[in-house]
Amino acid sequence: MEKLLKELHQAQLAAQTRRHFLETCATGLGGMALGAFLQSCGVVPGSETAAANAATPQIDPSAVRSPQFAPKAKSIIYIHTAGSPSQLELFDYKPELVKFDGKDCPQEFLEGKKFAFIRGVPKMMGTQGKFAQYGQSGAWLSDYVPHLQAVADDITFVKAMYTDQFNHAPAQLLMHTGSARLGRPSLGSWVTYGLGSERDNLPGFIVLASGGKQPDAGQSIWGSGFLPSVYQGVQCRTDGEPVLYVSDPKGMSRDVRKQTIEAINEVNRQQYETVKDPEILTRISQYEMAFKMQMSVPDAMDISQEPQYILDLYGADPHKGSLARNILLARRLVERGVRFVQLFDWGWDTHGTSLDLSIDTGLRDKCRESDKAVAALVQDLKQRGLLDDTLVVWGGEFGRTPMQENRDNQKLPFKGRDHHLEAFTIWMAGGGVKRGFSFGQTDDLGYYGVKDRTHVHDLQATILHLLGFDHTKLTYQFQGRPFRLTDVAGKVIHSVLA
Amino acid sequence: MKIRLLYGTLILALGVGSTAFLVFFEPKVDYNADVKPILNKHCIACHGGVKQAANVSFLFEEEAIGQKGKSGKIAIVAGDADQSEAIRRILLPADHDEKMPKGGPPLSAQEIETLKKWIDQGAKWGQHWAYNRVESPEVPKIGTFFSRFGLTDNAETSWAKNEIDHFILEKLRVENLKPAPQADRPTLLRRLSLDITGLPPTEAQVAEFESDKSENAYEKQVDKLLNNKAYGERWAGMWLDLARYADTKGYERDAGRTIWRYRDYVIKAFNDDKPFSTFTTEQLAGDLLPNPTNEQLIATAFHRNTMNNDEGGTVDEEFRTSAVIDRVNTTWEVWNGTTFSCVQCHSHPYDPIKHDEYYKFLAFFNNTRDEDVTSDTPTLRLYKPEDEKKVAQLKKWVATHTVNQTNSTQIQAEISKFVQVMEPKYNSHDIETLTNASLLDAKYFGFQHDGLARLKKVTLTGKNRLLIGIGTNGNATMQVRKDKPDGEILLTFVPPKTGSAWKDTVLVLPLPPTVGIHDMYFTNSSPKTPKEWVMIKWVSFQTLPTNAPTAEFAQFENTYRQILNASNTDQTPVLVDAEGNMKRKTQVFERGNWLVKGKTVTANVPHIFPSLPTNLPANRLGLATWMTSRANPLTARVAVNRFWEQFFGNGIVETVEDMGSQGIAPTHRELLDWLAVEFMEIDQWRVKKLLKRIVMSATYQQSSALTAKKLAKDPFNKWLARGPRVRLSAEQVRDQALAVAGLMSHKMFGPSVMPPQPNGIWLSPWNGESWVSSKGEDRYRRALYTYWKRTSPYPSMMTFDTPSREFCQLRRLRTNTPLQALVTLNDTVYVECAERLASEMQTRGKTPEQQISAGFKMILMRDIEPAKLKILVGLYQQTQKYYAQNPQEARKLLARRDASSQKAALTVTANAMLNLDEFVTKE
Repeated sequence: MEKLLKELHQAQLAAQTRRHFLETCATGLGGMALGAFLQSCGVVPGSETAAANAATPQIDPSAVRSPQFAPKAKSIIYIHTAGSPSQLELFDYKPELVKFDGKDCPQEFLEGKKFAFIRGVPKMMGTQGKFAQYGQSGAWLSDYVPHLQAVADDITFVKAMYTDQFNHAPAQLLMHTGSARLGRPSLGSWVTYGLGSERDNLPGFIVLASGGKQPDAGQSIWGSGFLPSVYQGVQCRTDGEPVLYVSDPKGMSRDVRKQTIEAINEVNRQQYETVKDPEILTRISQYEMAFKMQMSVPDAMDISQEPQYILDLYGADPHKGSLARNILLARRLVERGVRFVQLFDWGWDTHGTSLDLSIDTGLRDKCRESDKAVAALVQDLKQRGLLDDTLVVWGGEFGRTPMQENRDNQKLPFKGRDHHLEAFTIWMAGGGVKRGFSFGQTDDLGYYGVKDRTHVHDLQATILHLLGFDHTKLTYQFQGRPFRLTDVAGKVIHSVLA
Repeated sequence: MKIRLLYGTLILALGVGSTAFLVFFEPKVDYNADVKPILNKHCIACHGGVKQAANVSFLFEEEAIGQKGKSGKIAIVAGDADQSEAIRRILLPADHDEKMPKGGPPLSAQEIETLKKWIDQGAKWGQHWAYNRVESPEVPKIGTFFSRFGLTDNAETSWAKNEIDHFILEKLRVENLKPAPQADRPTLLRRLSLDITGLPPTEAQVAEFESDKSENAYEKQVDKLLNNKAYGERWAGMWLDLARYADTKGYERDAGRTIWRYRDYVIKAFNDDKPFSTFTTEQLAGDLLPNPTNEQLIATAFHRNTMNNDEGGTVDEEFRTSAVIDRVNTTWEVWNGTTFSCVQCHSHPYDPIKHDEYYKFLAFFNNTRDEDVTSDTPTLRLYKPEDEKKVAQLKKWVATHTVNQTNSTQIQAEISKFVQVMEPKYNSHDIETLTNASLLDAKYFGFQHDGLARLKKVTLTGKNRLLIGIGTNGNATMQVRKDKPDGEILLTFVPPKTGSAWKDTVLVLPLPPTVGIHDMYFTNSSPKTPKEWVMIKWVSFQTLPTNAPTAEFAQFENTYRQILNASNTDQTPVLVDAEGNMKRKTQVFERGNWLVKGKTVTANVPHIFPSLPTNLPANRLGLATWMTSRANPLTARVAVNRFWEQFFGNGIVETVEDMGSQGIAPTHRELLDWLAVEFMEIDQWRVKKLLKRIVMSATYQQSSALTAKKLAKDPFNKWLARGPRVRLSAEQVRDQALAVAGLMSHKMFGPSVMPPQPNGIWLSPWNGESWVSSKGEDRYRRALYTYWKRTSPYPSMMTFDTPSREFCQLRRLRTNTPLQALVTLNDTVYVECAERLASEMQTRGKTPEQQISAGFKMILMRDIEPAKLKILVGLYQQTQKYYAQNPQEARKLLARRDASSQKAALTVTANAMLNLDEFVTKE
């Protein structure tokens, strides 16, 4: 059976590939040059593997593909703090702002600006954190993130990030799909589309969500947009089944399931003999993979296998869903060859409307719950020799205002900051970025980026670069034109590359 | 390529074998087939709609031919390739500074030759084929002269059943392929039934068809299926992707929306075989038809399926604009198969549509009253019977008391409309917050003690009432003043305490006679409760008939107020156009940025298409009429192509979303045109007739089995030398399993249902709604009735490629993934189906062989092959042994104390059978 299947797989090579190209490269056969045609499918001439790729077509859309040039990072763990934490409390120290605390916001910050909730003239608000410099690099960090201080020298901070969107859903979409409007593939989808999936027993793009809510933009931010849905993120859950429908029905043992799948595949093979549709062979291999996933997913997701000192290092409770637990899971998944692990943690939207959503209490709690795990992740990846080719990204979808929020022109019961698109901080570690480095600067009040401003598209271009892709060339033909993650913008931030 | 083909045909046609002949005979280069693809590939990116590098553009004829570029030279000199700067630069050596294309791969020798010939021949411009009027082509002849008269036998004439087959055969000949014989009856009926109704045939239907020896046995089945109620549900399923129909509003909060009546409208429209032209008009402009029925208003919900952003802090105007843009793009994609969205920012990069033409088209849709308010208004209000009675009384009273007034019809119409859709009204985001005022939760206007607000430019002439939706828990006194904060007091009133500012009630308040357009100032004085908000959701200025006795008028006003405050009205979002000075003007957005407004435009269609009808206003109704006129080149082609795709897995133009010059060229362009003309002229846009024509063809009825030759020559079945073989849609996968297991509920219509889904799927922020599993037969309804939450759609269907419906999706790309296997193996509903199927199998025979054979026939309509039976019986035996040894496992599997090992094993076998490739595939 095994041998026969292999033969049949060989037989389907050509057809499969052509089908894939046909379906995905809509106008490929129309009027494009071979070069552009292959480019639009993520196979780029000029790279060392291009000729091989063109000559030896892919078996299936998930097969491993080579990037355009030698990558620095092989996997990504992207921790998205949904709602957007305040950069002014955590990373972007502004002593001047402290002096202005409680004073009216200068008119120049308000004229012609739109805010989500701030109305009239708000007051400036100094940082609520206690800042000091850490590590050899002298990174400024606050007491909100005491554990992160220990790994400061492994991190590149990007401090003059900016975006175009000041509402959560569109800003999250922009951050993950390159467009504030729906319908574009997510970063993870682009990556799996470009690189395929490393393993056949785990999805290549896994999403883990915590914080009790899904991200504001919904499941579309890990969707595949116009790419085939095989590239969409697969959500692994920490409650119930780790992947939906992965568990056998009650009363069906592994052996019975194995026998069932064998019988299904045998009958399908019979059917193939009659009708010769190569799609049947794909289905046979997908059922085999499903069976493997049923074994490997629960295994990968079972963090109780971790020794106590690792659980302690991360501060993760194996029986409770949390960002800390998902961070540890992310390491396990990356270790097992998962290409892209996308984490979302809800609850960082600190407006000051309630204690939970306040800068002085809510944000501290969110940090307390995850700071240890985040630092542990960097340390743990390092000690396992994985940090060099794993890129860790941490950040929200926008920043927060240096002004205190005054929703409905009222003083709010708690300290809070409104959404801010002009300046925020994200950080990256490992996977080809500099260690102990800070890039970009904001003004003295933390309102605008004044040096090395980095747009969301620039960050995306840089991430793709680290994975071995020219962001202008990882494209997909749709509705008559090639689309890419960075739309028509974005430039690689070479200064942060190691 | 095309040229070479032409040569070939010429040689054949003339019977001349000598290539020397061709030297003297130069074929005409066709702009569309030969030149446009070269320009699109190599030139347009820099010299086209987005960029016009060096002032050179090849997008429009007037820009391309005889125009000087920045260098002062003419890129294309018609009739003289040697004088054309473009050719000179193309021919330069690769390292030359002026070499074209700059930075791109050079043109091939053949491409250069084509361009030169075309220029030498006069550089004749042409229009993309799909933008030309559809004309019916001649139906190709098949067979031989004698066989056409039935005088001799011929494989072609005896195979073909209708004109479709002629077109197909013509291409098969060129490809040197032979069509396949008809599929066996059970397989054919299964295919037909799944295609037409989305459900497998019943055992009785199969038996009937198999025993019917009459000539038209197949046609009888076709007619029966087309008249089956399930037909409307199946095709509605397709249409709802285009309509981006969902049961929630989308974006962050993604709260529920009641719009299922639109879904039901679509089902009924298909079942009633409403002409596609009428179907189109009602959805785009039902509200503008004379005296629209409720059904016609509900049809306009097609374009109210756009998302509504309730996220705190969002600007309503931004998302209103976003919805309007979505309507424009969706209209183009659904009816015209043209990607219009790029024109939003610049002229179309590939097709000759200009930037401002986007906004002229947008003007058709930019005048509706929906403004992204949380309440999703305007909505069609359907009243409960007791309130409906009041509405009737009210209308009668108004009619009686306006008899002698000059503007009686207008007053009657206005009041009727307000009762029906509560428009026109000003939404509270139009009220400016001046003092102690704010948009509460960044949504609705509110003010506190000493609060002041302004509503600008209100027409007061003839208005005698202010209607206001208002709520507060304070002791407030409000005033409405004219023109200034301290201007003339038009009205003083005390809003009733409603318990909360967020709980609003409708008040009807008298206004003194005032002439002209004025700014209205609202003040609030509530010194006893200075922190309590007064919230205003909307205001409306109206003319009520006042020439009645006071008491009677008071009674009328009271009834009016009660109607507007009626609870539990059933509300469906609909389109309502603005009138008078509320009409919106449309401006071009510079580079697509809605904040940067350019010149003002009026509604019109792009110039490359036929003009709007002159006897109709330039509104959505005029537009719909234009779209469904015989002269429109796209609507029928696009529709026919879409329906075709549903049967064959691929459209005649594979890119059903794009018939423009960047779309994939049609495989059978003449067939497409022929079908489009038949659809318009013969079928009078009746979809059932079109579908019947397709399924009556021999092409459709072919066996789908592949041969090595066919696979090698045509792996994707472009030329249709075999029947379609494609995986079922998400809806069909679920419905089929329920149907063969005998679990399916055939209940139609009504609010969407929530069949069981795993816990913890719905986690929208700021949204208290939850998935509550439906009871009884609602658990087993057809998939299209499943509640569709945009940010979190029904997971098992997502796995089978259903879109999120956040925007219009024209084509689902079929995938084949391990996650799909997990759904049909493990999802409880499929396990339940297996168990039911096993129960039924047990009654159909004594031995496992008999039972499994019977089960196979039940699910696939045909007899099982011995080799497959052996495999499945093997599975049964293995597992029966296991369950006999582990009875507790059998009890778990079947959730019964008396579970037998036989039943458990048969359930496992049925589970396998429901996972067979041939079961999830239309063969």
